[in-house]
Amino acid sequence: MLDVFSYVKACSLVGAGLAIGLGAIGSAIGEGLTAGKANETLSYRPELAGEILKTMLVGQAVAESAAIFALVVAMLMFFTNPVGKPLLAAWAFLGSGLGMGLSAIGSGIGSGFVSATACEGIGRQPAAKSAINSLMLIGASITQSTAIYGFLVSLMLLFIGFPESADISRSFALLGAGLSTGFGGIGPGIGEGLTGSFAVTAVARNPEQVSKVTRTMLVGQAIAESTGIYALIVALLLIMVV
Amino acid sequence: MEDFSNIPQFTLRLFNFNVDFNTETIIMTWIVMGLLIVFGFLATRKVSFIPNPFQVVGELLVTAFYDLTKDALDEDMTKKYFPIICSLFMFLLLCNWLGIIPKLSEPTKDLNTPLSLGILGFLIAHYSGIKTKGFIKYAKEYCDPIFFMAPLNIIGELAKVVSISFRLYGNIMGGAIIIIVVSHLVYSLILPPFLIMFFGIFVGSIQAFVFTMLTLVYISLQVK
Repeated sequence: MLDVFSYVKACSLVGAGLAIGLGAIGSAIGEGLTAGKANETLSYRPELAGEILKTMLVGQAVAESAAIFALVVAMLMFFTNPVGKPLLAAWAFLGSGLGMGLSAIGSGIGSGFVSATACEGIGRQPAAKSAINSLMLIGASITQSTAIYGFLVSLMLLFIGFPESADISRSFALLGAGLSTGFGGIGPGIGEGLTGSFAVTAVARNPEQVSKVTRTMLVGQAIAESTGIYALIVALLLIMVV
Repeated sequence: MEDFSNIPQFTLRLFNFNVDFNTETIIMTWIVMGLLIVFGFLATRKVSFIPNPFQVVGELLVTAFYDLTKDALDEDMTKKYFPIICSLFMFLLLCNWLGIIPKLSEPTKDLNTPLSLGILGFLIAHYSGIKTKGFIKYAKEYCDPIFFMAPLNIIGELAKVVSISFRLYGNIMGGAIIIIVVSHLVYSLILPPFLIMFFGIFVGSIQAFVFTMLTLVYISLQVK
């Protein structure tokens, strides 16, 4: 018969593995896509090697940040002291790992789309490189927001104080909070990434219209994100109310 | 690890109600406001054809945001809404950069600051919408495409406030936590300065710009 301490410790270790294991998927795909597009562009614009390399590295750094959030959550869980934590904390650890890991998938892939087309766009229109770079940064950083929501919910699950009594509905509500932000973050992340990537292509085709494209991109991304917001609100309700 | 879970608060008891003040946030906001007032004073003190450094920075910010606002709104509305857009950006930029100074913390790390600024932008956008279009036409937009879509449209409007404020709060808070955790793991050697540069200056500038642009875009959606 296992005691509460062992359950909490075991769940924190599983949660750490889930967080960084799932969280590494998206960023890796996104960064690979960016590097691939950079190589493709280099083949027909070799004189722009320096510019394309710079854009590729910055874009990859932004796409990486979702995985860095997952790494921090995994580290926090790994080094958390499970002594004296109630049984509910075990469920919270599992929910936290799933929430962070799943929500990082969409953001990583999405930011990869944006920075990949930025590399392509600089090859197509080197004169507009500052406009393309700034649009890439704005688009990719909005794409990160669902990973940020996952990060917030994970931290809440990690640091909130729980009562001693382990109610079965409360335990599954904590797991559900993680699943809600996690799965809710995949779609908006990829969708916002697609919006940003087409916006970057549009600026590379017609740099005169950069302000109109930026505004439309921001509105579109904000609307694409609203489903992620619903998931965040449901997760907060599950943590606070149930 | 416990230092970001306790918030210094000052509680005032008023007619059976407890009024809480987050002292740290308020003091940091005052510091930012003081810095902005000093900057404004220095930038406009001796306006000359050959400008001093503060005037250069001020002119740069004002022209950049005047053009951005003019692209989004009409010429005569720009004169009305440009001051709030530019000052919102300068306030948020200084707020996000304040954390790079040791012992000071970003006011945007507290959800109350982004949330109140988000509600401010929401109220301004809807006030300007009612003022330019009239109440009937404004209310009609909620019944688009059919009248029973109204609850969904209202939820969509409220979700904008949540998304704009949580995005800023999450980025700044996440950066601060990552700096604390990584500094703890590497015994504050080598890595933290780079992280502070990345999350404080780089992410902070982008998020301040995104917040300002989204507020501007929401206003322009309402007035058109």
